[in-house]
Amino acid sequence: MTTATIADAPVEDRLAYALTEIARQEPGRTAIVAGAGGTSRSVVDYAALAAAVEKLEVSLDAARPVGVVARTARLESLVVIAAACGRQHVPVAFLTEDSRDLVGELRDWITLDDSLALPASAARGPRREFDAISPQVVVATSGTSGPPKLVHHSWDSVLSAARLAEQWHGLAWLLVYDATRWAGIQVWMQALLTGGTLVVPASRDPDIVAAALVAEQVAVLPATPTLLRRLVTSADRSQLAKSSPARITLGGEAADGPLLEQTQAVFPQAKLTQVYATTELGEVFRVADGRPGFPAAWLGKSLPGGVRLSTRRDGELLVQLSRDTAEVGTGDLVERRGDRFEFTGRRSDVIVVGGAKVFPKRVEEILRRVPGIAEARVYGLPSAITGELVAAEIVLAEPLPESATPDHVRTAALAMCRESLEAHSVPRLLDIVKKIATTAAGKTTRRPAGVTP
Amino acid sequence: MKPAVSEAVIAAINTVLRDTGRDTKPVESAMLLAADIGLDSLDLAQTIVLLERSLGVDPFRSPSAARPSVRTVSDLISIYTQALGHS
Repeated sequence: MTTATIADAPVEDRLAYALTEIARQEPGRTAIVAGAGGTSRSVVDYAALAAAVEKLEVSLDAARPVGVVARTARLESLVVIAAACGRQHVPVAFLTEDSRDLVGELRDWITLDDSLALPASAARGPRREFDAISPQVVVATSGTSGPPKLVHHSWDSVLSAARLAEQWHGLAWLLVYDATRWAGIQVWMQALLTGGTLVVPASRDPDIVAAALVAEQVAVLPATPTLLRRLVTSADRSQLAKSSPARITLGGEAADGPLLEQTQAVFPQAKLTQVYATTELGEVFRVADGRPGFPAAWLGKSLPGGVRLSTRRDGELLVQLSRDTAEVGTGDLVERRGDRFEFTGRRSDVIVVGGAKVFPKRVEEILRRVPGIAEARVYGLPSAITGELVAAEIVLAEPLPESATPDHVRTAALAMCRESLEAHSVPRLLDIVKKIATTAAGKTTRRPAGVTP
Repeated sequence: MKPAVSEAVIAAINTVLRDTGRDTKPVESAMLLAADIGLDSLDLAQTIVLLERSLGVDPFRSPSAARPSVRTVSDLISIYTQALGHS
């Protein structure tokens, strides 16, 4: 397989084309390792994927469904459905557990599960193909800010960030993201288009992830800052030292300076890239200098790909993807600090205490500086007296600093917050927990415990 | 007045004082929350959240009743006693 041949294929055919080509050249090449780092590791090779794609294409060609909703538990089924639907010009939707309610919008579409068998009722109707207007790939947003919604993409936008150059070929990619969400789709498409191996850890437990990194010799580690922080603060040090990812790609949330420094210390050989992307806009820009935020000089300039960044008066980052598209609000707040713009949080995360705004990310950054604290999350609790109240959860470092007790850490954390923050921003509830709550997309949730988006 | 409720209220107030870096003190039911103990509205909000955890009710959340006046420790105790009696 050469880059030229893949890039020559029509964009919607590329995944199927790549799978077929790689299977022809190297049938036994590993495409997916599931359960990595755990006790029940299983492997799928390119030949198996290519054969399943071919088979599904035959039935899609016969049945001509309006669209296909992929509702699978296994990554390989998702891949096969995506590839076959692309090449057969059938729109495909990737739905997650929490976006099932949205399926009503796709009423006439058929649903495929891990059996990859078309329902009998599907064999009818005149053939419809997607054109430039109809949806080609439908993805649910992560629901970081509000309920998930379906977003329609073209295959062009799905693959616009894929890197096909030689240096990206045949690498092992860690997949900690949900494979049905934008970030996860980007990872598995990228890996399989370039003859790579997807390494799916048995769980998001930091020790399991570390074991997977070592056992499968993972070269590229895409993660949210929350997942990466859990890995570098909580995973077995000796395992981490044995792993050697060449690249770490952060996305989904803003990374703070301490996390970037800590990551570089744990993985000194890794190139650290922060990707700014949203489900709606796709990838907007990348920052590779290892510092938080982005250079202040980028504002108002045309960036590679024609992207323009600006800010609203309240600090919300605005993105204009190209000259002929409208400026879009991102919901992300930025603040100028020296020669950078740094992310201060999501507008929807802002906690309002007695009329004063609290940025949870800033409070979390202070908590994480306290010796003995590995992770922190800050959220708003409704209050009849003050509207909302700042609440926080912390995960203790293991081991704790010498002679420190959990109670000491908690007291020190509150003292540090009182010192560094306005009174209304100091957490009024500070709980020590085993693990901080994350969304299905692997981001820190800013909702009270037990409340799911 | 149920002793469990008054103990919970006093414990919550002392937690608030400790968490905010102030000295705990012997709290008595006749004390004024603001003038005698030094609780501001944030402190009171925290006390209510802590009491919701220990007693399982938040009488201030009920939309039906007008906000009861809370000036003394015993006001707080009777509001919670009442809320628990009704539930």
